[in-house]
Amino acid sequence: MIPANFDYESPRTLSEALDLLASRQDAKILAGGHSLLPAMKLRLAAPSVVVDLGRIAGLNHIRESGDRIVIGAMTPHADVASSKILHVACPLLAQAASQIGDVQVRNRGTIGGSLAAAHPAADYPAAVLALDAEIMAVSRSGERSLPATKFFTGMFTTELRPDEIITEVRVPRTEGASVAYKKFHHPASGYAVVGVAVRIKKAGTRIDSAAISITGVGHIAYRATAVENALRGKPLGVIAEAAAHAAEGVEVLSDYYASAEYRRHLATVFTRRALEQALEASGK
Amino acid sequence: MAEFTIIGKPIAMVDAAGKTTGAGKYTDDLSLPGMLIGKILHSPCPHARIKRIDTRRAKALDGVVAVVTGADAPKTYGILPVGHDETALAVDKVRYVGDNVACVTAVDEATAENALELIDVEYEVLPAYFDPEESMKAETDLIHEGKPHNIEKDYHHVFGDPEKAFREADYVAEGRFIANEVTHAAMEPHSTLASFELDPHTGNLGRLTVWSSTQVPYYLQHKLSLVLEMPMSQIRVIKPLVGGGFGGKSEVIPLEIIAAVAARAARAPVKVTYTREEVFWAHRGRPRTIVDLKTAVKNDGRITAVKARVVQDGGAYCSYGVVTILYSGALLGALYDIPNIQYDGYRVLTNKPACGAMRGHGTVNVRFAFESQLDEISAKLGIDPAEIRRRNLLKPPCITINGLRVQSYGLPESIEQVVERSGWKQRKGKLSKGRGLGLGCSHYVSGAANSIIRSDMPHSTVNIKIDRDGGVVVYTGASEIGQGSDTMTAQIAAEVLGCSLARVKVVAADTDLTPIDIGSYSSRVTFMAGNATLRAAEQVREQIASAAARKMNCAIEDLVFGDDKVARQGLAGGSGTGEAPVPTQPGATASGRVEGQILRGSLQQKRTEEGPKDRMSFEEAVVAAIDFHGALTGTGSYAPPAEARGGKHKGAGVGPSPAYSYSAQVAEVSVDEDTGEVTVHKVWAAHDCGRALNPVAVEGQIIGSVWMGLGQALQEEMVWKDGMLMNPGLLEYRSPSAVESPKIEPIIIESIDPEGPFGAKECSEGSLAATIPAIANAIYDAVGIRLHESPFTPERVLAALRAKKNAKAINMTQGVDPLAPTRFREHGGSLCFRGKGPERHRLDPARRETAGEAGGDD
Repeated sequence: MIPANFDYESPRTLSEALDLLASRQDAKILAGGHSLLPAMKLRLAAPSVVVDLGRIAGLNHIRESGDRIVIGAMTPHADVASSKILHVACPLLAQAASQIGDVQVRNRGTIGGSLAAAHPAADYPAAVLALDAEIMAVSRSGERSLPATKFFTGMFTTELRPDEIITEVRVPRTEGASVAYKKFHHPASGYAVVGVAVRIKKAGTRIDSAAISITGVGHIAYRATAVENALRGKPLGVIAEAAAHAAEGVEVLSDYYASAEYRRHLATVFTRRALEQALEASGK
Repeated sequence: MAEFTIIGKPIAMVDAAGKTTGAGKYTDDLSLPGMLIGKILHSPCPHARIKRIDTRRAKALDGVVAVVTGADAPKTYGILPVGHDETALAVDKVRYVGDNVACVTAVDEATAENALELIDVEYEVLPAYFDPEESMKAETDLIHEGKPHNIEKDYHHVFGDPEKAFREADYVAEGRFIANEVTHAAMEPHSTLASFELDPHTGNLGRLTVWSSTQVPYYLQHKLSLVLEMPMSQIRVIKPLVGGGFGGKSEVIPLEIIAAVAARAARAPVKVTYTREEVFWAHRGRPRTIVDLKTAVKNDGRITAVKARVVQDGGAYCSYGVVTILYSGALLGALYDIPNIQYDGYRVLTNKPACGAMRGHGTVNVRFAFESQLDEISAKLGIDPAEIRRRNLLKPPCITINGLRVQSYGLPESIEQVVERSGWKQRKGKLSKGRGLGLGCSHYVSGAANSIIRSDMPHSTVNIKIDRDGGVVVYTGASEIGQGSDTMTAQIAAEVLGCSLARVKVVAADTDLTPIDIGSYSSRVTFMAGNATLRAAEQVREQIASAAARKMNCAIEDLVFGDDKVARQGLAGGSGTGEAPVPTQPGATASGRVEGQILRGSLQQKRTEEGPKDRMSFEEAVVAAIDFHGALTGTGSYAPPAEARGGKHKGAGVGPSPAYSYSAQVAEVSVDEDTGEVTVHKVWAAHDCGRALNPVAVEGQIIGSVWMGLGQALQEEMVWKDGMLMNPGLLEYRSPSAVESPKIEPIIIESIDPEGPFGAKECSEGSLAATIPAIANAIYDAVGIRLHESPFTPERVLAALRAKKNAKAINMTQGVDPLAPTRFREHGGSLCFRGKGPERHRLDPARRETAGEAGGDD
């Protein structure tokens, strides 16, 4: 339970950090450490150097920028959960953040760290997918924008290159939409056995558009397009029916805590509940 | 009722400051100059023969001092005399994933860890057994030699005439219940520091001192002596602060022996501290238990017979297994009046970590089955669950059909209290959809009346020494493990001596200093060490009294101790106004020996100025006693009375106790019918602890028991795949904490036991077993499903809800006939005991009337 030897670096600027990543092949980024440190202690990961982003200024912020809200990669979950800006402009992200792990995890873990770790049962992936967020990453060769829908490539893997660092996450303002994040907590780890993020727009008594994403069920968080299609243009009463498609076409995970069949069932229940909660909130 | 000044008061734990500030020292906080760190190599195979171990590469690593293997200490040991099947490190064979193969000692942890990877072990993999019912069929590749069919032990008891009772029953309920495996998950991982002194004459290794996180220092001393082949007098075991035991430290855990063997080889102090994963492998928790239970009742709800067949998945070593399987049968008795009992118990070996003692040892899983089945019966007969229990109460004082003596019995009042406070009558069956109330009862021993190693030795002995300034030092072998042992000891001593609690210092659990106490397990400490403390304090008080009586020129019987004073009766008052009547016999000096003694000026002066008086301060009285007697010391011990030691049949030694605690609980739950999630909203928990010596500590124990029961009921489960533990960490295995605690209303019931210290009985274990069935029965009340397998995970609850909706009857017994376990009888085991049962209690009025009819019922 103690990691193999490693070097520790805590650069003060992003460019120093990028230089370290470029020069050390098996460097790992520390941005909260909830995934990295346990993996190192179990010796599932043995990086030669750990690059701590905690002392780089300018990565911890939440600000408005036109029709988007920009969240710095090193912003802890607790700040996202309590952000006044987000509560008004993008409550889905705050709701998801407020349900991550426990108090200690929320005070220490960061949005960039969570997204880069790409845990199959993490909460943020569902939220950023439903929000069509953009994830900004830099390397020595420049900055690029990665759409959330293309970001996650598999269990613990993403589009990020080893020499890239996430700098910020950009989410749209969702005023006018109905949103909710509902989650079935794993009793021990606090991860989502199933987590469902929804963002829907109503047009009168019908659903104009729906973005629904689900974490914990498959190898990666995914957009439940079958549910979205079943809702689009339909009256509000179809929710339960549409939710039945929650795990359609997904290879459902199975573990000792929840079988694939049970997870599939929970995906339907929590999709329905998330939709109901979103509509109820917006109906007030 | 007698008035007490310290007993019965809510008193902060005497060791609280160290624990809450971090100043307190647990074993892993200790270090010695030149200390090495030990790391253990564990088996990756569930069952394999070790063909070769090569430690040369590890030994050659810079910083490594010694590497030990099974060959360094091949003597077998085990907590039970009948179960000496463990060795410090594997000799020839490994028997579970995590079994101990070798230990590296090195200058630091990282080096030791790296060295583990350099040990080459060649295994010849053997067929392994993971399911107890499969394991019982084994003919070859047995886990231990001499244990045919991998059965550690089986017992077959018949009391009364169950066959007849079943024939004559109005209704018979039967079912299979399964309780999955759980572990203690104490906050402090096990840790041991072992250090040898050099013998001054030979320069060889001499005395051994071991600091260890243990509930049983004396058993550890004994087993170390056995394995290291050293006299016990050459071994000193010291128990520093312990961060929770719950039974997981109530026997000798591998690292304790390994650390000593490694220290001997390294000729340096060695500390070994388990990682959390190693704690799970060391285990000794509650076994997965299959209970086939059958209960016969009359239409009026009276239970006439019970048959139980219990199979326990014991893991790879005996541990406490023989005791566990006996408790499961014995504690069918002593809660209710059951005149006929048949019990068939099988403790089975499998290739998994050994199970052992865990809070509520042996009784919890069977109680879950029994109380669930009783609830089924009450529904079937249309009798309220509280009422059916009232109709089956014991009538103490009595001796049960299986030989358990019951004197104090707070079960009726416990039931009344939880029924009253939960609003049972108005609310049961009338709550909103998906919400329900359930009742469960339980009981537990206040220490075992027979110790593991049968002897006539008292189970607890306590010494008290009082210093010249009135400081009281209590030397007790009882082990404080967080349950309040030291506080209880200090309270009893202070109460008896009439001095303030601040005067009392408890020196505990150091085998060089403290007299023998067999340990903190089976909830024995308050009853036994408490009684020993009481007697030691009384002995010292007598000495003080005789000196004080001479000083005051009165009879010893006229003296009362209290409020840090010794005073003549009727004059104590407690107010200390000093306006007592003038002594009547000014000429009478009690002793001339006072003169010439070195006393503090003020005291001496006071004494010379005054003649005989009516009260003395505690300090003055102590000085007077020391002047008369020299050292002021006392000894008290406790051995359970012969009448409490049970019957004579094979296995009768387990179950008898000088006193039993009683619990009743009502749980209020709601069930999410979409997901199967169960939420416990409130638990009303009444517990008869005889007398609450420290009510706040008793409430803490009740709440803690409910939490632990809650964990087993809803979420705790060790999950195995091919002998691999799938959740060996607290990120996967969740014990409830304050965060998910429902409201718990602890209710103290005081039945005042005739033999307990100040009437006290146990309060730390008995409540746990009631929580699981209370929750199960509340789930039934909420949504109409019977859960036969714990924990009641959302998935299991949902499966049961779906089965109910489809109106599909689930036959949980799956064709097993609990009445005819003939398939297992062929394995032999101990002889079937058939008897009429023991004699009735000597105070039982029925004894005189129907001397020959020892039926057990009224």
